Amino acid sequence: MSGLSIQNVKKSFGQTHILKGIDLEIPDGEFVILVGPSGCGKSTLLNCIAGLEEVTEGRILMGDIDMTYAAPKDRDIAMVFQSYALYPNMNVRKNIAFGLEIRKMPKQEIEEIVDRVAKLLQIENLLDRKPSQLSGGQRQRVAMGRSLARQPSVFLFDEPLSNLDAKLRVEMRTEIKKLHQRLGTTIVYVTHDQIEAMTLADRIAIMRGGEVQQFGTPQEVYDEPANIFVAGFMGSPSMNFLRVEVGGADGQYHVLVASEGHTYKLPSPPTQADLSAYVGKQVILGIRPEQLTHVMPHLESGPFVTKVAVKVEVTEPTGADTLVLTRINDEECECRVHPAEAGKPGEMMDILFNMEKAVFFDSETEARI
Amino acid sequence: MSQTKVNDARYKAITGRAILYAVLVIVALYYLAPLFLMIVTSFRSMEEIRVGQLIEWPKTFTFDAWAAAWNQVQIGAREDLGLKPYFMNSIRMVIPSVLLSTAFGALNGYVLSFWKFRGSELFFAFLLAGCFLPFQAILLPHSIVLGKMGISGSTLGLVFTHVVYGVAFTTLFFRNYYVNLPGELIKAAKLDGAGFWMIFYRIILPLSTPILVVSIIWQFTQIWNDFLFGVVFSDPNSQPVTVGLNNMVNSTTGEKRYNVDMAGAIIAALPTVLVYVVAGKYFVRGLTAGSVKG
Repeated sequence: MSGLSIQNVKKSFGQTHILKGIDLEIPDGEFVILVGPSGCGKSTLLNCIAGLEEVTEGRILMGDIDMTYAAPKDRDIAMVFQSYALYPNMNVRKNIAFGLEIRKMPKQEIEEIVDRVAKLLQIENLLDRKPSQLSGGQRQRVAMGRSLARQPSVFLFDEPLSNLDAKLRVEMRTEIKKLHQRLGTTIVYVTHDQIEAMTLADRIAIMRGGEVQQFGTPQEVYDEPANIFVAGFMGSPSMNFLRVEVGGADGQYHVLVASEGHTYKLPSPPTQADLSAYVGKQVILGIRPEQLTHVMPHLESGPFVTKVAVKVEVTEPTGADTLVLTRINDEECECRVHPAEAGKPGEMMDILFNMEKAVFFDSETEARI
Repeated sequence: MSQTKVNDARYKAITGRAILYAVLVIVALYYLAPLFLMIVTSFRSMEEIRVGQLIEWPKTFTFDAWAAAWNQVQIGAREDLGLKPYFMNSIRMVIPSVLLSTAFGALNGYVLSFWKFRGSELFFAFLLAGCFLPFQAILLPHSIVLGKMGISGSTLGLVFTHVVYGVAFTTLFFRNYYVNLPGELIKAAKLDGAGFWMIFYRIILPLSTPILVVSIIWQFTQIWNDFLFGVVFSDPNSQPVTVGLNNMVNSTTGEKRYNVDMAGAIIAALPTVLVYVVAGKYFVRGLTAGSVKG
């Protein structure tokens, strides 16, 4: 077992720079998720770790061995692919055993491993079937079984759940998490689904344009996003971004928002940001929908809570909550309220702005203040 | 009183079908008529043909013409009679040619799909040009090549020629089939520790059955039916059956023996017919199949 150290890894195809210097330190046993929009380089990075693509610059270390130019088979890595990549001409048993056979493991031992893996993933009854006779979820299990059989020190997952239907995806997600807890092997997992990232990861690396925007625990990237991109990418529904003007002095700052002709002063908690340099200027206020709720008496008296009257434009019931779309500072703003309290489109309703977890971004650099 | 409107399309569909099938049957009959004439004539005796009509049902049913065409007719000035020696030449030529050109095509296709190198697309484009090459244009230079190699006028020279000019087609077949296989298969096999040849033998070849059949049928038909290379690059001891048939039919001495000519033509065509019957369904499947599911 070993950790993974990615040092200033760059990858270019001619003049196209896919990875622009990636640094990640992944301790042994950690579950790391690479997340980002399509084309951000996350799959390329995974292929570089696997050795399927050569890096242009930088180093990749496993434990304390430099693996930058090692062959894929020598890296002690197993990978689960988006298309599962099961060998169609072999049955499940052969699929799992293939890598072991090539490594010239004794037959007896191979059989034991196949049985153990099949039991672990509950695919014992599928061992003699061909991949074409399996459902999507079963193929997924076999693909994981194939990678488990070799007992590698690092697992790589390349969007393994994106071909499954929604229900199965949630099931397999839990399954993968359980598996990680049981095996304790280092996992690097690529996805574009931020919910998958939040639920699975020990730490998340959010990537964009070949660069890591932020690398932290799910709660960190959710509560303390490094910039607007991270804030907008993580969380569903997405964080609200409002252009606001900063006022106040001497450590007591507020921002101004307007709704239906009234202007409100929203106090900014000193722990969230130091706005002293921005007085009189515009900043971008980031506030998540769950901080904008219907009026709850026990919250109303809080020091950073303000009641704002808004006009309901659209309502979207999700069952547990209803999302209310409204307009503040002439920008769309989503609030998460109790279904019974939600107003109807066109009506006015009171919303509590809870600024305790509000974040502020520089309107030019888009970095967090 | 209100009348219910009826939307009944039952007979409309059937009428359309009937016309369609009628046309198809007529076209098929028209197409099969020459073959039918050949078969019928080959079983008639020469006296019968001489006194009767050219197109007529055989009054006496005889295999004489077949036997004559196979090993009794004097073709050219050679000692062995009939088409048999030519037929054997063809078999000696066609089997290694088909196998080698298919094997090279599979290997080329594998490399061009999964082990791309700098310039591999350009390489493929040049190879494709081979498919459009008029073979008449290369007769002279190629005969010089064969001469320099010391294999002109031999079965080996014919095999070499057919392999070289067949590889363009077989590579195209295999390459276009393989690009539809998921590239992740190769990645998975690489991570499993398999190398270039291991991946080819254990993963790719077992998935290639449909396209192997297509390639074999195509190459077999092309090479067996080839006349141009056969007549130019062979000597009397290596002439294929197409050349033998030509020599037999075009001999200007003696009477034109239509029944023997027909039997000979059928003999020369039989192997390709056989290959189609045996592997035909794979042929259609392979030509249309985009990829292997699973």
